[in-house]
Amino acid sequence: MLLSKDRHIAHFDLDAFFVSVETLRNPKLRGKPLLVGGGSDRGVVAACSYEARKFGIHSAMPMKAARRLCPDAIIIKSDFEAYSKYSRLVTDVIKDSVPVFEKASIDEFYIDLTGMDRFFGCLQFTDQLKKKINKESGLPISWGLASNKLVSKVATNEVKPNGQLEIPFGNEKNFLAPLSIIKIPGIGRETGYKLLKMGVETVKVLSEIPVEMMENLMGKPGIDLWRKANGIDETPVIPYHEQKSISTESTFQTDTIDTHFLHSQLVRMTEEIAFQLRQQNKLTGCVTVKLRYSNFETFTKQMTIPYTNADHILLKTATALFNKLYERRLLVRLLGIRFTHLIPGNYQISLFDDTQEMINLYQAIDSVKKRFGEKTIIRAVGVGA
Amino acid sequence: MKFIVSSSALLKQLQQISGVINANTVLPILEDFLFDVQKNQLSVVATDLETVMKIQLEVEAKETGRVCIPAKILMDSLKNIPEQPLTFNIDKNYAVEITSDNGKYKVMGENPDNFPKDPVADDTNSFTVTSAALVTAINKTLFAVSNDDLRPAMTGVFFEMDKKGLQFVATDAHRLVRYKRTDVSCPKTDSLIVPKKPLTLLKAAMPVNEDELTISYNSNHLFVTHGTTQLSCRLIDARFPDYKVVIPSDNPYKLTVNRTDFQGALRRVGIFSNKSTNQVVLSISGSQLQLTAQDIDFSFEGNERMKCQYNGEDLQIAFNAKFLIEMLGATDTEDVTVELSTSTKAGIIRPGDQDENEELLMLVMPLMLNT
Repeated sequence: MLLSKDRHIAHFDLDAFFVSVETLRNPKLRGKPLLVGGGSDRGVVAACSYEARKFGIHSAMPMKAARRLCPDAIIIKSDFEAYSKYSRLVTDVIKDSVPVFEKASIDEFYIDLTGMDRFFGCLQFTDQLKKKINKESGLPISWGLASNKLVSKVATNEVKPNGQLEIPFGNEKNFLAPLSIIKIPGIGRETGYKLLKMGVETVKVLSEIPVEMMENLMGKPGIDLWRKANGIDETPVIPYHEQKSISTESTFQTDTIDTHFLHSQLVRMTEEIAFQLRQQNKLTGCVTVKLRYSNFETFTKQMTIPYTNADHILLKTATALFNKLYERRLLVRLLGIRFTHLIPGNYQISLFDDTQEMINLYQAIDSVKKRFGEKTIIRAVGVGA
Repeated sequence: MKFIVSSSALLKQLQQISGVINANTVLPILEDFLFDVQKNQLSVVATDLETVMKIQLEVEAKETGRVCIPAKILMDSLKNIPEQPLTFNIDKNYAVEITSDNGKYKVMGENPDNFPKDPVADDTNSFTVTSAALVTAINKTLFAVSNDDLRPAMTGVFFEMDKKGLQFVATDAHRLVRYKRTDVSCPKTDSLIVPKKPLTLLKAAMPVNEDELTISYNSNHLFVTHGTTQLSCRLIDARFPDYKVVIPSDNPYKLTVNRTDFQGALRRVGIFSNKSTNQVVLSISGSQLQLTAQDIDFSFEGNERMKCQYNGEDLQIAFNAKFLIEMLGATDTEDVTVELSTSTKAGIIRPGDQDENEELLMLVMPLMLNT
């Protein structure tokens, strides 16, 4: 085990990534309050420019609320294809330059530079990498450099946008101490509120709480939090991230309690991602259905099933989960479905449940979808949904 | 009550039936053996309420009596006592004292009246079969039994009896094994489903020889008797799926391969397949069989070619290698034939040559490859 003293972890985060991509594609947008998200009033803000943030807008806020705060903001419909293209571009630059890196999300990277200090000096290397990314992609990026992932991430967040910060070993606690506890990744609204009620406002106070008390208060996660507050984080940089799930969701034009409509939506979405699953030669072992009511309360339910990628089993599972989940006569705003526990493989045909006609039908449907597009042939119940 | 018994004879007999006892039982008394002494005869019973096993052996005893003795501690001590006569002394409060050359051991027994009663063997039909035939049948079918409790019918072996023979069928919905004996005659056409556990116990307890076993059954229970050893078990009360309709009768292509070579190739290539699906693709072309497996997550790849005889069109078909390996393990001939048709229809595996009075057929469903 390497001592923390010798570890050097850099965290790179693209600044307001979606917005940066949009301004890159249309330079006229530069310097204006910009909202990226669903086109209609019903969506949420996926990202906003720093100019828009001045109005109090933040991501994940309903579009409608954001518009009220800043009526002049320019709204752009998100184009995830373009974002993944730029994300890949940046990933490629990093991949060519460093030995071990982890792509934590579409716009975030951890790089393990341990041992690099002997040759280049980590600081110099990181700075050069930033310039390289900036030059090749045109996107602004910030970084933090520290002896572990947690501190480097917090450092990045502190200096955004377009900033950089090195926290030398031994300085982690001093750096974190004056910060507000909500700056620690993992402290969300609820935990934050709980701690605030106890009078814990800064990381310093949190780090001085005896660890036993934290455990009593919150159980295991409490110990984790305490360790974070003390700048301790031993999680390694994991080089490769296999796609862990396939999912889709849709927010409806108007909230609805029409169960027929909801059901047809569910069928359409399940069919869509089950086809993706089959195209990637994968099987899923767990289905999750997500439901958001008009009051933004969100519920999910999941079920583990024997590995499969067959429509009839997945549809049955999804429908059963939905029926269990949708028990309140409340307007529904959003419906989503997700497949997790993915493994590579093909569907094991069953002796008794699958008929030869059904297997032939599956193959025919998939070959039509592959040739003419996946929307050309769908179940009748999903038509118009 | 007092009796004297040979330590090794007792251990040998108890080992046959101790498998019945589950580690975590609902009723504490199910962790005990029931000892019943009658006129120099000791019978011992173990039960888990579903399966009951009973053995008998000679002891020296003047009185009669019954007691329940905790199984685990008794077995553990017997395993460590060298061969010698042991004296068991049981008092009114069911305290058991065992005296050996080395010393004395004491354990608290329980009241035998609380021990569950054996199922009553009334209204039964009976037939006989050789011990070897039953053990072989279990060995050839048990591995294909399903573990899916949601479909109880498939969690046992289906016995199909008629005057001309006895047939054993097991399936887990992805494969199926049917083993037929024509050297057995049953009193009437009938069928029943026997759970996995008693069959596993029988397989271990019955000798592989020509000893005659008596099999009796009624609507709820099966009874198997071999000399002084008896087993009874509750039957699975469910309808076995209609397996006859899923056995294809028109698989035109025949692949013949050396059994051990094929099994070896599957074992080696299978290592490089995904651990959950064990997917191996067979590509058959002319007299060549190619096996490929891969696990994209870890960049594993396995590939082998072997000679075969094949009379059909070129075919690519994927199977779970574990299924094939187990099925090949259930056959003992030099060659096996695999009858195939298309890449989405069942393959039928048969041993190269079979004895006159037995017939083995195994069915396996493929994995659906993207076209």
